[in-house]
This record gives sequence, structure tokens and C-alpha cells, in this order.
Amino acid sequence: MNSIRSVLEGVGSTLILFMRSISHVGTLSRQKSRFIEQCYVIGYTTLPIVGILSFFVGSVLALQSGYSMQDFGTQQFIGALVGLSMVRELGPMMVAILLAGRVGSAITAELASMKVNQEVDALVTMNIPPAKILVLPRLAAVLMMMPVLTVISNLVGWFGGALVCKYTGFISVEPQQYFQALRHVVKFKDVIDGICKAEIFGFIVVLVCSSIGLSTRGGPREIGAAVTKAVVSSLVLILVLDYFVTKLLLAILS
Amino acid sequence: MNNSQQTARVGLFFLLGLALIYVTYETLSGGKTFSRSGYTVVAGFPNLQDLKPTDDVRMAGVRIGSVYVTRLGKGRAEAVLQIDPQYTIPSDASATIVMAGIIGTDYISIDLGTTQAPALKDGAEIKTKITPDIASIMTQMAELGHKLDSALSSISNAVNGSGPDGGVFQKFNRLLSENQTKIDASMTNLQEITGKINRGEGTLGKLVNDSKLHDDLLAAVGDFKATASEAKNVMASAQTVLDQVKAGQGALGVLVYDKQAAEDLKFTLHDIRDFSDKISKGQGTLGKLINDDSLYFGLQGTLKKADRAMDGLNDSGPISAVGSLSKSLF
Amino acid sequence: MFTQFSNSGESVGFRENKAVGVSIEHLSKSFNKLNVLKDFSLKVAPGEIFVLMGPSGSGKSVLLRHIIGLEMPDSGVVLINGKDALSEDIREHVRMALVFQAGALFNSLTVFDNLALYLREHRLGTEKQIKDKVMQALTLLSLEDAAKKYPSELSGGMKKRVAISRALVMEPQLLLYDEPTSELDPVSSAMIDEIIATLRDQYRVTTIVVSHDRDLAMSIADRVGILMNGNLIHIGTPESLKNPTDKRVSDFLYPKVDLNNPRFKKIIP
Repeated sequence: MNSIRSVLEGVGSTLILFMRSISHVGTLSRQKSRFIEQCYVIGYTTLPIVGILSFFVGSVLALQSGYSMQDFGTQQFIGALVGLSMVRELGPMMVAILLAGRVGSAITAELASMKVNQEVDALVTMNIPPAKILVLPRLAAVLMMMPVLTVISNLVGWFGGALVCKYTGFISVEPQQYFQALRHVVKFKDVIDGICKAEIFGFIVVLVCSSIGLSTRGGPREIGAAVTKAVVSSLVLILVLDYFVTKLLLAILS
Repeated sequence: MNNSQQTARVGLFFLLGLALIYVTYETLSGGKTFSRSGYTVVAGFPNLQDLKPTDDVRMAGVRIGSVYVTRLGKGRAEAVLQIDPQYTIPSDASATIVMAGIIGTDYISIDLGTTQAPALKDGAEIKTKITPDIASIMTQMAELGHKLDSALSSISNAVNGSGPDGGVFQKFNRLLSENQTKIDASMTNLQEITGKINRGEGTLGKLVNDSKLHDDLLAAVGDFKATASEAKNVMASAQTVLDQVKAGQGALGVLVYDKQAAEDLKFTLHDIRDFSDKISKGQGTLGKLINDDSLYFGLQGTLKKADRAMDGLNDSGPISAVGSLSKSLF
Repeated sequence: MFTQFSNSGESVGFRENKAVGVSIEHLSKSFNKLNVLKDFSLKVAPGEIFVLMGPSGSGKSVLLRHIIGLEMPDSGVVLINGKDALSEDIREHVRMALVFQAGALFNSLTVFDNLALYLREHRLGTEKQIKDKVMQALTLLSLEDAAKKYPSELSGGMKKRVAISRALVMEPQLLLYDEPTSELDPVSSAMIDEIIATLRDQYRVTTIVVSHDRDLAMSIADRVGILMNGNLIHIGTPESLKNPTDKRVSDFLYPKVDLNNPRFKKIIP
């Protein structure tokens, strides 16, 4: 009973935080420096890990599908498989998961410690809504950076797959053939789909992590608990929402 | 790190992202804005089938460009081919649409042509060969069968006699009824032959089932058409003969009225039966063609060798033997 | 009695405020079935320094949080200039500041930016005017050298002073201090006491101090209240505390250390 109540409280406070942040959207032009700072943290500093992981996700995808396809002699279609999987699913998903682990946890930790140190209360007494200066710039930054991270993840994954296809003995598919199959199957619409997905995931990760951070009560121990809760909630939300968002996007496009 | 440095990095990062999105867009939508180097040639087909922009253009298996756009032209479908600048296409080379596999992509295959021929210029039209397509081959085969059927039924009509001039035909009937069994046997044999062709047994059947022989088969179908039209001509001549018979002219006219000639005719009909028996037994060229599978393999070899020599095939090929045999048959 | 606050934000420097009166009526608050405040009522006049004393956990800080609008009362109301403290009108037009016990400085910002945040967010002047104002507030509390430092680099007393100066740049009409002298050495405590009194005298700001520092109450308070178990058990001038009649008050203010009969042994049954 208690856990249901706390879940409902979490959903409610997240939605309220969302509405509050949106209501301050007009102040964004005066928060340029905070926005840039968050863009830097969310986008620029996340890039290396996104690049490395995407490369290996693409490689492993090519390797595994090459292994399963060798019995059918359909290796020339690996490009199509890797291309479409990266763009529609793994690219956005990878970026969102990394965002939850790397940025989401940091957001929760920072906001929770601000809450515990009464910095958030201080903001309220100064008549500065925390949603406005702490949450809104982050939401705007994640919306700005997710397409960039996603498209980089896609391309790096594609090239990872192409490299594996060229240099793995039992696959031996030339990059030219790989990219031809890829180009034949992947449409730019699929890329847009993936970016939409990434935007939704990124937005939700940042919103949920902010909300959990801001609703922390107690001392330093609760900061750790809040971070764990935020990352777990983000991951669960990403994976569950993924299904519904995919379904929604397919329904909209057909 | 100071503020402006951070701003610059974020700006750079974002621009990089935009650039990469653009690169992705360009890659996926076929590089319409960049990589438009080289020249274009136009290939007209009655049907482009599954061909679409970005598909490969290959010359003797080497990729030399891609399909830039597909469109409808005057009474045909046109594929505009973007050819890489380092490749030239001789003006006597011809293009076909080739299916790479069941779920694979189509591509345009261009043969080598001859080196003496001048190269195609930008915007020029390339010769095309109609792509063999199983459905149309089957239709043509059926048409051929129908033509043979109708040719043969005209003959049987004429032989059984339903003309207005009963006087002539009563005698002719009597003559025929004496040889009824022989004629029937001949006809049965003939029907068997056409039946076999219709059912696609023997060489013709194999031909239809063997996709490797598409190109050659196309030429073969052309030959069949020619054969059929020859058969038509034969029928026309047969009818002229019958008219002459009716008028009492010519050899058959004489036959009908002349006892000696009637005796000769007996032998002639006997010969015809002999001939169709031979066909049935697989003797003679036509018989082998219809009954003997080994001939099919010979035919396959012949067709392979005779890449551009379908004209020669008319003289020596077993297919054209159908034509000459049907000529000699009537 | 009270005139409406008039906005004249373009002037650099701190102006004399129209001080506000605070009236707390029948306030009750409980956390997890624990009654922290029970039907609490109190009036603080404009420009007064009211010191609220009481043992730890008696609900003093909770009361401050109610006044500034960080907590919602279960019942009862806090009135500022006769209007509900939670109303939009008061939140927008009455400037209140709370000096938190731990300072609650923004750890990610320098001291200067801590002070400038309020002015920048509410667009009170150009960047130059903001700078002048912030430096003036820092100078007032002898903090000008600390402007570029981060809160983690400051000592406890400096943190409190920065917290006070951060409250000061808001030009508050009502200034609340939560344990301003706790964890400070006697000299620093005395300095904070002087600052609180000086600010009230110069800017006529209504001041409520929550503390259990007897010296502070005796030296600067206009009136002192003693809160125990969620109720005011005493209210009066500092002089009235010198010879308290109520035993609970005298036990709280002048506890005797009796080593032969220690308290903690009595608490444990």
C-alpha cells in the first residue's frame, strides 16, 4: 500500500515539476549561461562514452548477426540489419541509458544535496522557483543535445558494424556492400523516428532524475538512496516506454 | 575552463551534430546534392520492375554508377543512370534489369559492348534489352500453343471437309475414310506433340524452368514467335492448296479425281504417319527436341555459346528446326 | 498602520524599509503524528527584534519555515501586514529573507554569485549596479576579500556572515535568523549579535531570531519568547528573564550543572 502511494507521489511530483518548468519557458533566453553549461555537461562530456559504446554495440550486432546469417549466406544484408537496429532502437536506447547513468545520476545527486543543504529552500525564500533555474535549463539542454548524441551514436555504430564485417573472416562483407544494403533499407524517416525516441527518453530521464533529487528529504544517506532510485526508475522507464513509444511512432507513421 | 571556451565547445558540438544529421540525410536519400559527378544516361524499359533510385549500375559486374531517378517517359519507364566519370559506356552496349536475389535488390547490368563503338555522352540514351520475366514467357508459350492448336484444327477441318462444295469433298471424304485410321494416327501423334509442348515437357519445359537461360530464352521466344508466324504462313498456303483442290486444280485436285494419284496419296499419308510415329518415338530432330532430355543439355550449351549469335541459331539451332520441320511437315 | 511597499529598485544602496508586522494565529503543525506546534499564537511589531528561544526540537525552526512559506500549516494562519503569508500578494510584494542555520549557500557559486543571484534573477538593475550593491553588502560585513571564494573555502563564521549579507541584498522587510550564533566562538557570536542589531537600526527591518543563545537574547532583543513543547511558556522583555518566576524558564535559561546528580542518569529509567 505504502509503495503504491510512493509511486503515485513520485508520478505526481514529476508531473507537477514538468508543468512548473514549462511555465517558466519564457525565461530561458535569460538563462543562456546555465543552458550552455548544461549542454556542455549533458552533450559534450557524454560524447566519448557514447562514441565508445555505440561503436561496440554496432560491432557486436554485426558480429552476432553475421554469425547467425552465415548458415543462410545472407551476410550481405548485415548492413541493413545493423543500420536499422542502430537507428531505430539501439542508438536512442544506448544514449538514453548512458544519459541516465552519467547525467541523470549527477543531476539527482546535485539536486538532492542542494535540497539536503537547504539550498533549494533558500531559492524558494528568494522567490526563485527551483524548477526555473535548476530544471528548465537541463530540460532544454537535453532536448538540444539528444539529437546530436543520437546521430553520432548511429553513425559510429554503423561504422563499427562495417569494420567488423570487413575484417571478420566468416562475414567478409565489403563496406561498399554493407552500406549499400544499409542505404537500401534505412530511410531518413527512421533516423527521425530514432531522434524522436531519444528526445522523449532524454527528457524523461532528466525530468525524473530532477524530480527525485528535489523530493529528497533527510541527510547525506538519502542522497545516495535518491541517486539509486533515480537511475533505476530512469532505466525502467526507458525500457517500458520504449515499447509504447515505438508503437506510437509506428502508428503515427503508418 | 572559462565560460566562452565552454560556449564555443557546445556551439561546435551542436554544429557537428547538425552536420552529421545532414550527412545522414544525404547518405540515406541517395546523395542527390553531392556526389553528382559524372554523367547520366537514360535507359528506357517497358517495365522497371523493382528498380529504384540508389540501386547499382554494373558493367560486366563492376559497379560504375547508380540509378539516379526513375520516371515515366513516352510509353515506357525510364531509369536515369548516374555513371561515375572514369567509366565510359560504348554506344552498342545494352542494359538489362537484373534481380540479385529473391529478397535482394535489383540492379542494372550493362554489357561490355565493343571497344570500337563511340562512348555514350551525357544524357544519351542507352540500348536496352527487355528483361525476361517469367510471367511474360509463360504467356508467350501459351500463345504459341494456341497458334499451333488452331493451325492443326484448321488442317483437320479442311481434311474432314466442311466446305460448301460437297461434290469435291464427298470424293475426298471417301478417299480419306479409306485411310481414316492412318490419318487419325497421324493427328493423334501431332496432338501429342503439341500437348507435350503445351505441358512444357522436354527441352521447352526445361527452358522455361531454368532461370539461367533467361536471356537466351528471350531470343528463343522470339524464334518461337517467328515459328508460329511461319506456321501461320504454312496454314495460309495449306488453305490456298485446299482452295485449289476445290477448284480441281493442282496436285491435290488431280489426286482427288485421279485414281492413280489416290493410290499415291495413300502412300503419302502413310509417310506422314510414319513421320509422326518417328516423332513420337523420339526419332528425328523434332522428335528428339520434344522427347529427349539430353538434347536439352546440348541446347543449353549451344545457347550459351551463341551469346550474340541468335541469327546463326536460326540456321543451325534445334529451335529453328521446329520452324523448318513444320514447314516440311505441311 | 502599514503602508504599501513602493518599488524603487533603481537606487543603488539599501533604503530604509517600510517594516512589516507579523501575526501568527492558532498555528498547529505535526509531522508523522508528532505535534510540533500546538495552537501557537504570536504578534511581532514592525521594526522589532523578537528572539525566540527554546530547547532543540521545540519547533522554533518549523515556526520560521511557516512564516517564510516553506511549510504549510495544518491549521491556523500566518499573517504579514494582515494578509496570509502564503498569498500571492505577500509572496510578490513583501521581501522576506531567512538566514539558514547552516547558511544554505549555493555551493556551486562563488560568494559574489551567491549574493548576485537574487538580483540577477529578479533583474534588479544592470550588471554594474548589481556588482556595486553586492560589494556594498559584502563590505558591510567585512567580506569583500571573500567575494571570489566558494562557500566550501569559508570558515563557519564567514559562512554565517555571507548568509546574512545574501539576505541583506534582498533588502528585506522581514529578516528571519535561524540559530545565527550556533557553532560559533564567543567573539564571532558577539559580532553576529552586533550585525543583527545594526541592520535593524539602520534599515528598520522586522527581525525574528530563533536561537538558544542566552547572551544574544539579553543583548539585542526587544522581546523574548520561550517555546517549549510547541507552546510559548514565556514572553517578555530581556529583563523579565533575569529573574524568571516559571521554573521551566529558569531551568532552561540557567541550568545548574550538578555532577553528583547527573541529568542523563535520570532520563534513562
